[in-house]
Amino acid sequence: MSTTAPKTQDENSVLLVSNDNHTFILRKSSVMISPAIKSMLDKKSNFEEAQFNRVVFKNMNGVVLEKVCEYFYYREKYRDATDVPDMEIPPELALELLMVADFLCT
Amino acid sequence: MNRSRGKIRPPRRGLATDHVDFDEYWEVLAQSLREIYAKNASHLSFEEVYRNAYKLVLKKHGDRLYGNVKKLVGEHLQMVAVNDRRTVGTKFLERLKFVWEDHQLCMGMMKEVLMYMDRVFCADHKIPSIYVSCMGLFRDHILRHPEYNIGNALNSVIMDQIKMERDGDIINRATIRACVYMLEGLYETEEELEDQKVYLTSFEKNFILASEVFYQKEGEQLLRDCDAATYLRKVDKRLKEEYSRCHDTLSVLTEPKIMKVVDQQLIDANINDVMEMEGSGLQFMLDNDRYEDLKLVYELISRVDSEKRSLKKKMCARLVTMGKESSATIVSEEKVANNITLVAIRWVDEVLALKDKYENIWERSFDRDKGIQAAMTRAFTDFINDFDRSPEFISLFIDENLRKGLKGKTESEVDAVLDKALTLFRYIADKDVFERYYKKHLSRRLLMNRSVSHDAEKQMIGKFKMEVGFAFTGKFEGMFKDMNISEEMTSEFKRLSQESDNNYKKGVELSVQILTSTFWPVGGGTSDHPCIFPLEIRAVRDSFTQYYLDRHSGRRLDWRPDMGTADVRATFKGKRHELNVTTYGMVILMAFSELSSGGTLSFEEIQTITSIPEQDLVRNLQALAVAPKTRVLIKKPMSRDIRLTDVFAVNEEFSSKFMRIRIGVVATNRAETEQERRDTDEKTERYRGATIEAALVRIMKQRKLISHTELVNEVLTQMASRFNPDLTMIKKRIESLMEREYMERAEGERQVYRYIA
Repeated sequence: MSTTAPKTQDENSVLLVSNDNHTFILRKSSVMISPAIKSMLDKKSNFEEAQFNRVVFKNMNGVVLEKVCEYFYYREKYRDATDVPDMEIPPELALELLMVADFLCT
Repeated sequence: MNRSRGKIRPPRRGLATDHVDFDEYWEVLAQSLREIYAKNASHLSFEEVYRNAYKLVLKKHGDRLYGNVKKLVGEHLQMVAVNDRRTVGTKFLERLKFVWEDHQLCMGMMKEVLMYMDRVFCADHKIPSIYVSCMGLFRDHILRHPEYNIGNALNSVIMDQIKMERDGDIINRATIRACVYMLEGLYETEEELEDQKVYLTSFEKNFILASEVFYQKEGEQLLRDCDAATYLRKVDKRLKEEYSRCHDTLSVLTEPKIMKVVDQQLIDANINDVMEMEGSGLQFMLDNDRYEDLKLVYELISRVDSEKRSLKKKMCARLVTMGKESSATIVSEEKVANNITLVAIRWVDEVLALKDKYENIWERSFDRDKGIQAAMTRAFTDFINDFDRSPEFISLFIDENLRKGLKGKTESEVDAVLDKALTLFRYIADKDVFERYYKKHLSRRLLMNRSVSHDAEKQMIGKFKMEVGFAFTGKFEGMFKDMNISEEMTSEFKRLSQESDNNYKKGVELSVQILTSTFWPVGGGTSDHPCIFPLEIRAVRDSFTQYYLDRHSGRRLDWRPDMGTADVRATFKGKRHELNVTTYGMVILMAFSELSSGGTLSFEEIQTITSIPEQDLVRNLQALAVAPKTRVLIKKPMSRDIRLTDVFAVNEEFSSKFMRIRIGVVATNRAETEQERRDTDEKTERYRGATIEAALVRIMKQRKLISHTELVNEVLTQMASRFNPDLTMIKKRIESLMEREYMERAEGERQVYRYIA
C-alpha cells in the first residue's frame, strides 16, 4: 500500500479493497460490525488503515469481498428487525465465506 | 456469517494446504510489535500483522505465539526497569506513571492485532488473554522486580507524599492518582478478582497501618495541646481531608477504611477525654450554648456510636446536676425568704429556662435526635422527682399565674403559660401528690374568689384531662360544679327569704358555698371549728340549714366559719366604713358591737363569748388589733404579739381614706409549713394505700386466681399514671387484704392468690 493509493476524504465512509484490486466504498457504521475491522480503523492506535480509511484484504478476492460487504449492509438494515429474509449465499462461496467470517470475527 | 459464532470453524485441512513456517512469520510479527513499542504503528498495516497472527494460530502455533509475545513483552519491561531504576521522589512517580501509561497503550494495540489469538487460542485453552497476562508481567517485572523492588519504593514515596500533605505541604495529587490507578489496574492473579487488586494487597494495608500510627500520635498531641472546640474542629477537618484524599488522590475503595481509622483514633479513643476537658468540654459547651461545637460533638459521636451513649450520659448528668443545683439553692433560699410562692415560681422559671435551653440545643445541635430527646426527658424526670417539693412548687406556679399573672394577657399567651406548666406536670411521677396540692390551691382560689378567669381555670383542667384522664380531674370539676350550685342556691334562698320574709333579716345577707366534702381539701366538721355566732347570724344560718335539708334529705350540712368572709359596716368618727373581714373576725367585732362605748374585752372573755379556737383567735386579733393600717381594735399593752392576758377595745380613733377596707388575716404562708407537709405526706400515703387496695380488689375480682408477680405488675401498670407505688406498700396491702379475708393464698402454691367472694 502506498500513500498515493486512492483514499476517501469522507470520514463516514471507508474503502475496502480485495486482493484482485476491487474497491468497495461502504458506510463506516456498517463495517464496524466486525471487531477486527473496527480495531483496524481505530484512530487511537493509528495504523495505516486508520490514517487512510482504507483496508486491503490480501486473503479475499472481489467476489468474496462483495458478499462480505453485502452482509454488512444486510446486517445493518435488519439490525433490530424480526422476520428477516434469508440472505442469498451461493453454495460455491459458502466455505470461503465461513473462513472470512472467522477471520473478521463476524 | 452465523450468529452463533465459534460453532462453525473453517476446515483445517484441504483449504490450508500452504505450509507455514513459524519462525519466518514470527520474525515479521515480532518486528511489528517492536515497531508498536517504538510508536511507529502508522507505518504498519494492521491487516497484515493481524493476518500473520491469524495464520499462526490457524496453523496450531498458538501456544508458541503466545509464549513468544510474552517473552518479548517481558524483555522489553526488564529493559525499562533497568533504565528507570535511578529516578527518585516525585520524578520517580512521574516516570512510573509514564512507563505504566506507555505499557497500557502498547498492550492495548498489541491486544488488538492479536485479537484472533485471544479469541480462538486463549478461549479454547482457557488461558488468560494476552493483555491480562502482560499486565501480570508488568506487575512481576516492574513492581516486584527482585532487585529494584519498585513497588515498595512506590509505596513509601506515596506514603511520604501523603504525610507531607497531612503536615500541610502541597503535593502533586494527579501523579499519585495516576500511580494509584496503575495499582488498581493490576491484580495479584490472572483471574483478576476484585479483592485481589495490587492496590489492596500491597498498598492499602500499609497505608492504613501508617495512618493508624499517625492519627494515634496526632490524637495524643491534640489532646495535650488543644481545648475541646479546637480538637473537634481539627478532627472534622481531618475527616474532610481524608475524604477528599480518597476521592482525589487515592481510591474511593479506601474511603470507608481510612474513615474508620480516623473515627477510631481521633474520635472513639479520645472523645470522652475531650468532652470532659476542664473549662472547654461538654459542660462548658452546654452551659454556654455553643451550638456549633455541640453539633460537632454530636456529628462526630454519631460516626462511632449510633446510640451516642457517652454524649447522652454526660449531657444528662450535667442536666441533672444543673437541676439539682437550682433545687438546692431554692431550698436554701427558702429558709431566709418569707414568700415561698416567689421561691416556687423562681424554681419553676429556672427549670423551664433549663428546659428551653436544652431543647434549643437539641434542636440546633443534635438534629432533633429521638434518642437524645428521650434521654433528656429521663433526666428531667429524674431531677424533678428527686426534688420532693416539685409537685407543690408547680402547683404554686399555676396558682400564682391564675391569681395574678394572667391578668391582661391574650388567650394565646395564657395558653403558652399553661402549656409550660403542663410540660413540667408531665415529668412528675407522683401525680397524686400534685393533685392534692392543686386541689388545695384551687379551692383557695375558688373560695376567696381570687381566680382571674374561670376560662383559664377550665382550660388548665382540660389540659390535665387530656394528659392523664378523667379520673385525675374529676374532683377539680366537681369543685367547679359546687361553686355553680352554691351560687344558684344563694340567689334562690335570697328570693325565697324575701318572699316569705319569714326569718329573713334585713342587714344580714347570706352567701353560701356548699362544698361536697370529698371534692374539697377541707377536713373535719363543725366540731373541729366551733364558733358561737351572734344571734342574728345564727337565725340566718338555721333558716338556710332548714332550707337546704328540705331540698336534700339525707345530707349533712357542716358550717365552716374558718373559711368564710363577711362584710361589716362600722362608723368611725362619723365616717362609714365597710370592713371586709373573715367570718371569725366578724364574730369578734360583733362581740364588741354589743359593748357600750369604751368597753373592753379581755382575750379570755372574747374566747368565752365566741369559742373560737385559740390559734384562729390569735390570728384574727392580730389582724384587727396589730396590723397598722387596719387597726380597728386597740389592745393593752401595745405589743406585736397577742397574749392571753391582753385586753381589747374598739379603736375610736381609727381612720382610713378608703370606704371599703379589707382586713386579711395575717397570711398563713401559702406554701406549706413543715408540719403541714408532714400531714400532706401522711395523707398521701393513706390515700395511696387505699388506691392500691382498690386496685388489688378490682384485679382479684376479675382474675380470681393470680400469681404474686403478675398481681404486682398489674397494680404497677394501673397506678403508673398517678404515682410510683412502693413495692413494700403493695405487699403490706396484700397482707392486710388477706387478714381481712378478701383473698387467700392458693393451697400448695405460696406465690398464688385466690379471691374470696
